[in-house]
Amino acid sequence: MLKIKNLYKNFGSIKAVEGVSFEVKKGDIYGLLGPNGAGKSTTISIISTLLQPTSGEVLYEGSNIFLDSKPIRRDLGIVPQDIALYPTLTGYENLLFWGNVYGLKGSQLKKRISEISDIVGLNERIKDRVDKYSGGMKRRLNIGAALLHMPKLLIMDEPTVGIDPQSRNHILDTVLELNKQGITIIYTSHYMEEVEYLCNQICIMDEGKVIALGRKSELVELVKEKTQISIRFDKTDVCVLNSLKEIRGVFDANIVDEGITLFGDNGDTLLAEIIAKATEHGRRIESIDVKKPNLEAVFLHLTGKALRD
Amino acid sequence: MLSIIKLRILRLKDDVSVLILMTVMAFGLTAIFGISFNQYRPTVLIVDEDKSSYSENLIDELKRNNAFNFVNSDIDNAQVGIEEGKAAAALLINKGFNDNIENGKNVDLGIMKIKDDAMILALQEMLTSITMKMSVGIHISNITSELVYTEKPEINKEEIKLNAYKNIMESWKYKNPIKVTATIANTGTNSGYDNLMHSIIGFTMFFSMYTMVFSIGTILYDKQYKTWERMLVSPVSKSSIVGGSIVVSYLTGAVQMGILILGGKYLFSVDWGNSIAGVLMICAAFIFAVTSLGLMMSSFIKTQAQLGSIAPIVLTSTSMLGGCMWPLEIVNNKALLFLAELTPQKWAVQGVENIASKGMGIEAAVIPTIVLLTMGIIYFTIGVKRIS
Repeated sequence: MLKIKNLYKNFGSIKAVEGVSFEVKKGDIYGLLGPNGAGKSTTISIISTLLQPTSGEVLYEGSNIFLDSKPIRRDLGIVPQDIALYPTLTGYENLLFWGNVYGLKGSQLKKRISEISDIVGLNERIKDRVDKYSGGMKRRLNIGAALLHMPKLLIMDEPTVGIDPQSRNHILDTVLELNKQGITIIYTSHYMEEVEYLCNQICIMDEGKVIALGRKSELVELVKEKTQISIRFDKTDVCVLNSLKEIRGVFDANIVDEGITLFGDNGDTLLAEIIAKATEHGRRIESIDVKKPNLEAVFLHLTGKALRD
Repeated sequence: MLSIIKLRILRLKDDVSVLILMTVMAFGLTAIFGISFNQYRPTVLIVDEDKSSYSENLIDELKRNNAFNFVNSDIDNAQVGIEEGKAAAALLINKGFNDNIENGKNVDLGIMKIKDDAMILALQEMLTSITMKMSVGIHISNITSELVYTEKPEINKEEIKLNAYKNIMESWKYKNPIKVTATIANTGTNSGYDNLMHSIIGFTMFFSMYTMVFSIGTILYDKQYKTWERMLVSPVSKSSIVGGSIVVSYLTGAVQMGILILGGKYLFSVDWGNSIAGVLMICAAFIFAVTSLGLMMSSFIKTQAQLGSIAPIVLTSTSMLGGCMWPLEIVNNKALLFLAELTPQKWAVQGVENIASKGMGIEAAVIPTIVLLTMGIIYFTIGVKRIS
């Protein structure tokens, strides 16, 4: 659906994007993950035709978007990182305007506004002025404005920045629901958990470059890191420790802070055996904490720094 | 573009209070400058002994003049008024005035006064001028009606004569058959300058500029609210965004100017002259120039707050230079007069004043309109290029 080929963008001497290439397939939720300043927003701006690249190509449905921007502009819904709404207008008036911009009118537009108000959960407050909304409500309306014309491709640039957990969950659920309805989504975030939760394809960026891309499982493979399991028993001793070490797939086990921490290949299958061993020794398990290798670890592994540095 | 126009109209509700305030300010300051600071008008009592159609005609003509406050009276009250200093003079229209002026004889007008001074001289000049206009008018209307009657005996000769006379007097409306060159009292009035007229024209231009500049400056709100970028990635083109904004700004300015022009007519009894088409032509070009100026200013700055600080400086200083607050006739400095030429206000005020005060026709609107359109095109081109 969308191919980005060897994209470069310089702002004077600053190289914001350097040789970025990736492909988004129809039906994907494609995650662009990286810290602030990684080049995600610049890449998004180029894809949405707001910026011209210094060099490189963006192909939408096989056509270069810089030769003919009409098809992508028609099919694209964009949720900018900043709230892009008129605060002195009501939510309804804002949606009315953005619908008009995309050529919707009359009863069709009114119907869509009603549907969108439902989707973003703002039915009760849609006739209120936007400056009376909470941060989360503004974020949701910001998303709603991008959905009115039923886009084929939706770009969401950090849509959950600075909002409460309830609104954040609503937005994440909305993203999944929209994807189920057939919308291809490009989702940028510096929140690793969101990208892990939502995206089937992930592109990790840093300092304007793509440092890794693929499915989450493929990215985690890059790290060669094991699952870490920490268990607290009612009574911890060497006997239990030795018993756990005997489990197949366990590489290392130690007593740490009156509990046992071990590393293994597959956390899910190990858990059943750990519970069996504890029962065998008459121990009661007070807590188990499983830490699977994640994208944070991948980023750390590839760049030598934490994702939020 | 329609979606942008709808948006701008929707957002006008935020600016309605400013629009009303600017209109009220224009009327308020016109009242203060035009009426309070208007020149002293000595009272002249009129005693009409003839009570004929031409004596009434003379009184009407006199009352159209702003130099004196003419009040009808009788001979007794006129004497008392002058003795008590309530009136500067009294004009006696003696019996036989009608016959004399109709037959081309010397007219008999008397002036009752305490002493001879510059004001009395000015009054005499005015009477000479008006009676000469009437005399010429009567003479021409007589000839015209005779001529038409000879050609077409079936027509009503008196009706032709009356209509011809009315038309002749109307054509004299802004002109004097005698140019008063002596530096006696109120010669300025005879040159066509009217303080109330100048105030309404000047303040109409001045306050409508604020509305237009801030209206087009709404583009800066788009940038502030980040909706500008969002619009740019939509199917709406940049030219539609700018075009739609200009259309609404233009219409807003036009509505406000329309209100001020009508307000001037009905609240202050301002006569906008013989060529309303000329006035409208200049106003239309002025609105275009100012809207484009607003676009250009908006392209140089980033926020509405910056526009809020810069616009008053630019608009007030150029309005002062351009003669919105006072007539440029009182300015002698060549540098200031040169700078005035560069302001749209100068061309608009001067053009409208030439039509409204001096009775010029649509030809007086041509040069100001061309200059204003040229200025508008320059501002527009710079504004659009910078925004792009």
